[in-house]
Amino acid sequence: MKREHLIILAIVALLVAWPLLMGNYAVSQANRAMIYALAALSFSLLAGRLGWFSLCQTTFAGISGYTIAILGVRYGLPFPLLVTLALLFTAVSAVIFGLLTVRSRQVSFLMLTLALGQMVWALSFQWVDVTGGYNGIAGVRMPVYGDLNLNDTRVFYVLVATVTVAIFLAVWRLYRSPFGLLLLGIQENEQRMRALGHPVYLARFTAFVLAGMIGGVAGVFLVYDMGIMSPSPLGLGHAVWVLTAAVLGGYRTLLGPALGVAVLIALETLVSQYTDRHMMVIGLVLLLSILLMPRGLAEVFEQYFKRKSKPQASVTTTTRGEEP
Amino acid sequence: MKHAKTLIISGMSALAVGSAAHLQADDGLRVGVIGPTTGVFSFFGEQQRMGVELAMEEYADRLEALGLEVRFYDSQGDAETTVDRLRAMESRDDVDLVVGPVLGGTGLAGLEWAKGSGMPMVISYSAPEDITMRDRAENVVRAGWTGAQPMFAFGQYVAEELGHQRIIAVGQDYSFPYNQLGGFLKGFCAAGGESVERIWHPTGTSDYSSILATLPDGDAVLYNGAGSDGLAFFQQYHDFGIDARMPLLGGSNFFAVGDLPEMGEEAIGGLSALQYAEGLETDEFVAFRDAFWDMHGDDVMPLAPAEHGYVAFKMAVNAFESANGGDRDAVIAALRETEMPDAPRGPFHLDEYGNPVQNIYINEVKEVDGRLVNVPIKTYEEVSQFGPFDAEEYLAGEPDSRDFPPGDCSDPYYD
Repeated sequence: MKREHLIILAIVALLVAWPLLMGNYAVSQANRAMIYALAALSFSLLAGRLGWFSLCQTTFAGISGYTIAILGVRYGLPFPLLVTLALLFTAVSAVIFGLLTVRSRQVSFLMLTLALGQMVWALSFQWVDVTGGYNGIAGVRMPVYGDLNLNDTRVFYVLVATVTVAIFLAVWRLYRSPFGLLLLGIQENEQRMRALGHPVYLARFTAFVLAGMIGGVAGVFLVYDMGIMSPSPLGLGHAVWVLTAAVLGGYRTLLGPALGVAVLIALETLVSQYTDRHMMVIGLVLLLSILLMPRGLAEVFEQYFKRKSKPQASVTTTTRGEEP
Repeated sequence: MKHAKTLIISGMSALAVGSAAHLQADDGLRVGVIGPTTGVFSFFGEQQRMGVELAMEEYADRLEALGLEVRFYDSQGDAETTVDRLRAMESRDDVDLVVGPVLGGTGLAGLEWAKGSGMPMVISYSAPEDITMRDRAENVVRAGWTGAQPMFAFGQYVAEELGHQRIIAVGQDYSFPYNQLGGFLKGFCAAGGESVERIWHPTGTSDYSSILATLPDGDAVLYNGAGSDGLAFFQQYHDFGIDARMPLLGGSNFFAVGDLPEMGEEAIGGLSALQYAEGLETDEFVAFRDAFWDMHGDDVMPLAPAEHGYVAFKMAVNAFESANGGDRDAVIAALRETEMPDAPRGPFHLDEYGNPVQNIYINEVKEVDGRLVNVPIKTYEEVSQFGPFDAEEYLAGEPDSRDFPPGDCSDPYYD
């Protein structure tokens, strides 16, 4: 318990120190990392708790981003209303997607989310009158309140960091709550949970909508960070990137997805400075890390320290031995 | 979870060390060149890079005098990556001017970023017209073209010289072909054409039998698209024998030189229009092409993205020289004054919106020295991004879309 609070404090301290110590570029990279950490968290909530590997979490980010771009740029709605509507639309689409996918399992779930994600991507690409098609919608800006310009990288950072930490804390509570344990139980043995009288479908559905909403929050920040909304974040490439980050970091843990995103972005930034073939280097690193650490960076470190210091069992790790 | 912080910290510090290692004093001028050098569109980015490298070699002395250094960045053809690399240029690498981006979507993303940053930017091959029209920014100019620009002249040519009245337009369903067809229609209707019927197909279509089997009758077919879609369409068009009934005209990229060997002899005689032609025989062009072959080998034909990168870089160097250094406002002012009397594609200058006013060539595919190339058969001089139309009027109109401008030339829009 105490240890976990220490970790939270350390992370918050790091997030506070980062913009004070680092240059603009590092701060904008941290913004990107936090946005994708939210997307990866949205993925991991389903993958780690329910064994549901979703390829449509970035789609929710895209839906929310497009809502903001369309309503904000075309109709000039005020910022608070935009965010509310974006999250509302995300929730509605998550409910619809959830109804379609709630009964599916593993591969069929993966395929369904793939199909849904690709459908929305195709829609964003081809519904030119509304989405601007391939060119997208430019000119998405945060509001300026007096002296407070939310478009400034550092001001934006404070906003993103606050919301990201709040969401991670909320998910941390969720993982420890009876509901979180029920989700794990469903992943372990669905029949038993059903026999015990738990509403299995309802629980899965709720988790799906919650994860979608987290993706929606990521989308809000994503569109303001880029200033332009185009189909590219909805593409399969981004969905797979998020999956990769989550698996690399360890999707069963709370911090794994964030860690995976941070490592992947750091790798991309650093390696691409030295060679054009950076994708090959990164691919090799991924290959090695997934071969050697199939459960992800976070769990490997956790076990390493456990062997050394022997603390109590972590609540955030499943006991399931199966590899992804 | 408990010790994940160690990881977070080490991951983050790796990032920190990386960023810190690249902090450097602003001792000279820096140009950042951005284009897709990996991914499916890497061909375009590689062309630009080769063009820029050639210009660097030619200008080596002047670069040294300016203390100018060049860095290449990979956009991966992705809008988000483009914005990220541009941020790196500005806040990490102290870049003073950007050459690129190359593709449509990345160009618009780059423009959006440049508006916020104020960085001087010379967009090379990226063609969305609003970059230098409705969304233009003072600090952004273009060395290339708009999608509609060559097509005004092509529409005029098809109506006047070929005498076609009714065109069936098949194309890939996204904004670049819309813009190409928009320019074509405006030129075509103004020159006495009758109608254009549109058929759009999703990008990545490989089977065109449903389109070809029900193709309406017309005087000619115009295909607006390129790459593997264009190749498949070309082959199936001939397999269906429609070429005997209606000639096939191409959008600007359709008869791309890389695709010509695949198309084979049937491509000979194919017409399209562009502000560039690899079959040009002017002294400037031949000198450029030979120097390009000396540097990169003669199995690579320099195409428009290479020339646009080459010219964009020269524009940048000229601007730094006339601004006497890297002062932003002076560089931007000098860029906007650009005159290129000796560009390989032919002379051009920028209009007041920052887009080249240049030659448009009607190109015909011919076999020259055993290679299939696009040879100009007619030149329209001094064509601006507004074609023959008045800028103010053009800007007041709607942007081209899936079904705008109207396909019927008797529509009141054309009055």
